[in-house]
Amino acid sequence: MYWLSGGFVFKRVVSPFNRLDPRVRLLIAAEFFLLSLMAQTIWQIVLLVGAILAISAVARSLRRIGRAVAFSGVFALFIFGVNFVLGLGLLHAILYAARFLAIISSTSVFFVTTSPDELEQIMKWMGFPRDVVFAFVTAVRFIPVVMLDASQIMDAQKSRGLEFEKGSLLKRAKNLVPILVPLVVNSVVRSGELAEAMESRAYGSTPRPTSLYAMRATWYDWAACVLSLALATAAGLYIYHHFPFG
Amino acid sequence: MTLIEFRDVSYVHPGGAAALSGVSLAVESGETVAVVGENGAGKTTLVRHTNGLLRPTSGSVTVGGVDTRKTTAAALSRRVGVAFQNPDHQIFSESVESEVTFAMKNFGFDDALVSRRLDWALNFFGLEEYRRSSPLVLSGGEKKRLTLACILAWDPEVVVLDEPTVGQDALQKEKLAQILGMLRSAGKTVILVSHDVEFLWPIQPRLVVMSGGRVVADGEMATIMSDRGLLEGARVTQPQLLRTYAGLSRRPARPFLDVLGARDWVSGLRPREGEG
Amino acid sequence: MSARTSGPGRKTLASVERLSFRYPDSARAAVRDVTLEVGEGEVVLLAGPSGCGKSTLLRCINGLIPHMYHGEYQGRVVVGGLEVAKTPMSTLSENVGFLFQNPENQIFMFSVERDVAFGLQNLSVPREEMRTRVDEAMRLLGVSNLATRAPHELSDGQKQRTALAGVVAMRPRLVILDEPTSLLDPKTALEVAELIGRLNRELGITFIIVEHRLELLVPLAHRLVVMEGGSKVLDGAPEEVLSDPRVESYGVNVPPISRLYTSLARDGIRLPRNPSTPEELAQEINDL
Repeated sequence: MYWLSGGFVFKRVVSPFNRLDPRVRLLIAAEFFLLSLMAQTIWQIVLLVGAILAISAVARSLRRIGRAVAFSGVFALFIFGVNFVLGLGLLHAILYAARFLAIISSTSVFFVTTSPDELEQIMKWMGFPRDVVFAFVTAVRFIPVVMLDASQIMDAQKSRGLEFEKGSLLKRAKNLVPILVPLVVNSVVRSGELAEAMESRAYGSTPRPTSLYAMRATWYDWAACVLSLALATAAGLYIYHHFPFG
Repeated sequence: MTLIEFRDVSYVHPGGAAALSGVSLAVESGETVAVVGENGAGKTTLVRHTNGLLRPTSGSVTVGGVDTRKTTAAALSRRVGVAFQNPDHQIFSESVESEVTFAMKNFGFDDALVSRRLDWALNFFGLEEYRRSSPLVLSGGEKKRLTLACILAWDPEVVVLDEPTVGQDALQKEKLAQILGMLRSAGKTVILVSHDVEFLWPIQPRLVVMSGGRVVADGEMATIMSDRGLLEGARVTQPQLLRTYAGLSRRPARPFLDVLGARDWVSGLRPREGEG
Repeated sequence: MSARTSGPGRKTLASVERLSFRYPDSARAAVRDVTLEVGEGEVVLLAGPSGCGKSTLLRCINGLIPHMYHGEYQGRVVVGGLEVAKTPMSTLSENVGFLFQNPENQIFMFSVERDVAFGLQNLSVPREEMRTRVDEAMRLLGVSNLATRAPHELSDGQKQRTALAGVVAMRPRLVILDEPTSLLDPKTALEVAELIGRLNRELGITFIIVEHRLELLVPLAHRLVVMEGGSKVLDGAPEEVLSDPRVESYGVNVPPISRLYTSLARDGIRLPRNPSTPEELAQEINDL
């Protein structure tokens, strides 16, 4: 499970794609996302996924995005099954499942290449309130910490003879109490300590805090921006021309 | 009698990092063993193998002759009680009483036994007055004692304590030393994982030094602690009394084990001054 | 001669005057009528049993009390000429830094350098100046080579040094450390203690430190203050306080060499001074 979720977790690499301004990476991911929604034939989806995989290869993240796809495979099968059972035909069922995978991989490309710090900058640039941005960043920052807490709590309770996988459904639900209570208590204590540390480092003292890094688009970013917009528009127009909606 | 035996144990984390490599270790019944080493040396991974929370990637661990791969952590814990470092990672009940009885109920003790052991544990650890209070109101030191009470209540053969002295003041440490003394005289097997060499020194347990997932020394504490090269490599500090002993130009045959012993030797060096 | 005898400045940096504080949900005061003067450049150790009021006193000095925690507050705390209760946290944070016990809970950002910059961003420090101060703080704490590492890629010692760099970047005159090494292994703790000593000598930063492992910090401390039941009970040079017959009853972890020194003195054997290292003690015994 943890291995699969790696398909959405940022990892620092150096590549021509990672060098791009995070806003341009978001734009490119968004273009793929929209085109995946618009695509009307399996071949179009195959082309899109191919392009996404090509970009992930450039970003040296093919493996991680593969994990995201593997992770979503179960859901894709489910979508396929539902559509097939509903009698939409084999082709449509495949199309919907494939479209779902294309959407997942386009999202994954963005998250795998974008650090939470960059996400924070994008959110600020988009005008989200500072507290919202900070809450989001902190939540992401503490995911691994809370996961470690959870595994240590489970170890401690197993060492006191607790067997999770035993008994009726009700018994199993009750078995979660010794895990959840310490997890919640620890998180409350942790957030108290975080609040003290934030306060001690002047959080919220000015309405307009500065930033160590500025997002500054270079010619390289503009070029990527224009090129990707042109290609996406062309692809969009092509799809629209052949399969006008409504 | 060998109670816990590690035979050439290696453990590789699912992520791919090796945490133990080629560890062989036999703990005899009634022994007190201390495991030292820097953070990340593999101590915690070692502890998690003693009650089957982790199973070796290669090699084997047996507890009382039973291979840990052939049973569950819950069953092994009946014999090996592990107290982890952070009490907040296990306290969950609405009262101190039910916190202590939790494990005994999991192990299926009958009610009469549970209530007898509960009374004993609360009394032994000085927690009687908190019987019906929430464990969350206890101080740090009291919580630490509660976790010990929880484990000793079910009377395991082996008691494993992970960093029992962290954040404890001198009075709490003294109490802990007394409890350890009682466990030893009751014939319990004790495994202490600790950085606190000053606390361990007067106890003089059998010492196991870990570094980079391996056991780099195993034997008498006084002997191992005198090997400065070894300690340097494992990033383990030397006890103050031993460092003092090493700096003496004239010194007794064996290092001082406690302040009293050191005082007696130094006092014997020369006739006492007049008062003042 | 060690640094401690050269002595800190005589000028007072922080003063606590007859301070008492009671939390709203508590029956008794956590800090009771405490008076304490801390001189510019001093390293003051604060010891005492769990629950003696050390942590509360620290929070009164950096302003978390009364700005974040409210309660019954009497007396006055002045740091660098500012009365704590009447000065906003943002101003205080430039004068008093606070390093907490658990390094995990004070690192907010995803890279070391961004986290070191956290406080400066909040103070609206311009980018160029911020860059200089972040780089300087990272260099002082030896984390420059970790600048782009994420928190989960750091060891505990590296995390604690990162957090300390974030405090030092704000250039406070006083830094408060609440059990800064209790979660570290002894060698790593010793390295952090040595860094604290360097910051004190080279930058003249004043420190107030709560720590149970006294043997690590006594060598660099100028003073040892002991609290019990919310009150200050002992205050003086570490070697004097550690030889006080009452000190162990206050739950202070007296290092074995100090215990040996004291028990020898009781036996009528007076060594020149209460040693701060075992080697010093051995020398004193050799000279008998």
